[in-house]
Amino acid sequence: MTVTDESRSRAVSARLRGVHKSYGQARVLDIPWLEIHAGEVTGVVGENGAGKSTLIGTLSGNVNPDGGEIEIGDMLLSLGSTESAGRLGVALVSQEFPLVGQLSVAENMLLGRRPRGSKRRVLVDRRAQRAEAAAMMEEIGLSPAEIQVTREVRSLPVPTRQMLEIAKAWGREPTLLILDEPTSSLGPVEAQMVLGLARSLADRGGTVLFIGHRLDEVRAVSDRILVLRNGSLVADLNPEDATEERLVREMVGSEFTRSEPKAKLIEERVLFRAEGLTADGLGPVDIELRAGEVLGVAGLMGSGRSRLIHTVAGAQPATGGRMQLDGQNYSPHGPADGAAAGIALIPEDRKQQSLVLFAPIRSNVTVSILRRLSSHGILTTKSERAAAKDITANVHVRMQSVDQPIGSLSGGNQQRAIFGRAFASEPTLLLLDEPTRGVDVGAKAEIYELIDRAAKQGMAVLVASSELEELLWICHRIAVMNHGRVVDVVDREDATKERIMTAAAGTGSRLLETSATAELSTAERASRTEL
Amino acid sequence: METQTIAPARQVAPKSRFTMADVLRKLAASPEAGVVTACVFVFVCIGLAAPTYTHTGNLQVMGRDLAQIGILAIGEALVILTGGIDLSVGALAGLAGILAAWFNVREGLPGPVAIVVTLLICGAVGLWHGAMVTRLKVAPFVITLVTFTVAQGLALAITTGTPINDISSLFSRVSSFQIGAIPLPAVIFVGTALIAWFVLERTYVGRQLYAVGGNTEAARLAGIPVARRTTLAYVASAMLAGVVGVLVIGRMNVADPSVGGSGWELTAIAAAVVGGAALTGGEGRILGIAAGAILLELISNGLLALRVSPYDQQIVQGGVLGIAILADRLRARRFGRESR
Repeated sequence: MTVTDESRSRAVSARLRGVHKSYGQARVLDIPWLEIHAGEVTGVVGENGAGKSTLIGTLSGNVNPDGGEIEIGDMLLSLGSTESAGRLGVALVSQEFPLVGQLSVAENMLLGRRPRGSKRRVLVDRRAQRAEAAAMMEEIGLSPAEIQVTREVRSLPVPTRQMLEIAKAWGREPTLLILDEPTSSLGPVEAQMVLGLARSLADRGGTVLFIGHRLDEVRAVSDRILVLRNGSLVADLNPEDATEERLVREMVGSEFTRSEPKAKLIEERVLFRAEGLTADGLGPVDIELRAGEVLGVAGLMGSGRSRLIHTVAGAQPATGGRMQLDGQNYSPHGPADGAAAGIALIPEDRKQQSLVLFAPIRSNVTVSILRRLSSHGILTTKSERAAAKDITANVHVRMQSVDQPIGSLSGGNQQRAIFGRAFASEPTLLLLDEPTRGVDVGAKAEIYELIDRAAKQGMAVLVASSELEELLWICHRIAVMNHGRVVDVVDREDATKERIMTAAAGTGSRLLETSATAELSTAERASRTEL
Repeated sequence: METQTIAPARQVAPKSRFTMADVLRKLAASPEAGVVTACVFVFVCIGLAAPTYTHTGNLQVMGRDLAQIGILAIGEALVILTGGIDLSVGALAGLAGILAAWFNVREGLPGPVAIVVTLLICGAVGLWHGAMVTRLKVAPFVITLVTFTVAQGLALAITTGTPINDISSLFSRVSSFQIGAIPLPAVIFVGTALIAWFVLERTYVGRQLYAVGGNTEAARLAGIPVARRTTLAYVASAMLAGVVGVLVIGRMNVADPSVGGSGWELTAIAAAVVGGAALTGGEGRILGIAAGAILLELISNGLLALRVSPYDQQIVQGGVLGIAILADRLRARRFGRESR
């Protein structure tokens, strides 16, 4: 990788001068000078709240900065106008705003504009639309023969949609293409494809601003890495200099220490056992969890990771097989049975599946133990508050009072509160689905410590995650899933990324299969019913 | 790095060779199929049970009724497509009839002028709905509920509760005119449905309406004028309510505030939903929605033909609707995607 003076002298696609933005007292963005070059992938990293989204918002016109100038190409951006940004060629691919599910691929590709060279102004020119959509897909290496342009987008799995979103943005021939955490909903193989795509777009002269949340990805793809902290640009690094330690240090602002690797597991008592467990899209699966053990579940999108967790929790009905929990037969008919048997589930989507955001912290953390708190069926605010204080203190939630809405806490603090709630019900088996999604680097380490603590207290922990490093870090063993089955179980000592990836990828990518979407919606539904 | 083909080579059903089973399956998987089938089924069954049902005279009655709930349903469906809801259409239709009569009789405006003025007023009401929803982010349910109440009240206030007689013969001529044996209002309904279908399926504006309802943020980021498209739907809905109001007073040959279109908005919403429109927006096609309106009319008229006691009619209507929706959900679960 050559990031030399030569590439730095390439054309400037975007130039920021004195751009700053404050909300009240808090200065969320302050960039005196920044140039983004054509033909490069410029990586941007920073903790949550470091100003990444404000930067993106400012460039794409969604956020109106308090001052400064932005040039896109050679034109001055009219600040705070999405229209102006669109006209100057800023294209944003964001995780938050996917395509219109009900419309066809072709219509999504050309959403909001007409096919080039089409003479019809009012009537839809379907033939031209389809032809251009197909060309746009081919341009980034998607095959229109396999993903038909007439297909409804919602019938496609999430990774494919993400690719289409990029094709759509790229087809507008953007001056500046912003990819906002494009891999956060993807498994490792699909993520690799998106990274490859970003790389090739830059190699063809495009300008890519890559906002990443996985440092290894950003390092792999970028020609230059910017680090944001508290709204300021604190580092501008070559990939050679940007070691993971360095990046984390710049992001956090101090040396980042990880806890000691875990001691070898000695306990032999099996707390949870599943034999031939099957469910819709799952199994048969055999697993065993010993007391104090953290078992990771790795796999691509749609491999059955979440299904396994949900089936064990009782949120998805099992269709066959047997489960044993602490020596007792366990066959849940719903999440309530799971909870009663001593299982606590921390689902992947905090806002949708775990919390009532506008309700106070105390009501959120005590829901799992209301019966214990109530005397003769009556719950007093006093006892609730006292219990909430214990629970939050136990997991070190940083807050002003237990009466503030839980939505006002940071993501990491919310997640800690959820762990507190789970611990309060004193579970035998703790189920975690993407326990660190959407929390920043510092908070991640604290969540790993909580998981560690749960194991040390003798719980069995089953944790599904799309982040391999995370699993390698926290687990005693890792079960790798593919097509709903456990294809490999790796001990901590033998676990390597390569081995897990190979097992997970199995027979190759599965972009055309809809099981990933189906899984998401099943999981969603399951957890909604649970709430 | 070279770009590679991302999807694995996997044959998806070849395009050319359709077997009968494929065609049937495809039909069954489309949400419109169920409601169209239900129409045919209901029509045949009731027709066999009650011979008067299929007589020309009764079919003409159905045609005129259909014009009312069908046109309202199409307008309602446009709003539902954007993810909103318009509770005002029934009351607004009632008010429109009163206004047209009032302009015509009390203000002495000639019939056509009275109709145009009325429709413009309805359009303005739609514009108001659109502005409130898109600019001030008022919930559609709330703002149209306000109009619903005010429109009902205005109809009573204008007339002080007494019907307006002696309206221009133009009104009744429009409502009773027949092309061959087909009543003009039914033709207007079919025309409205065709125009709505054409706009929604074949024009950019129509496709953008689906995008707005399906994913507002994606539509906005793609540069679609979300506020204008949404407002357009409310204006169309309100103006179509105006058309219905005019047709109704023509049919009665009097503008009676007590007729006032009460409950029609719910019938219109039911027709749209039975026809496959999703209340979450972005989904539903005109064929299904028109068929939904036809189905409701076939049922309610059929109950008369079958001499079901008026006291029991609502129960039967509700029950049939429930079964239709249940059957559709079962079909969707069996053949199509589940999300709606």
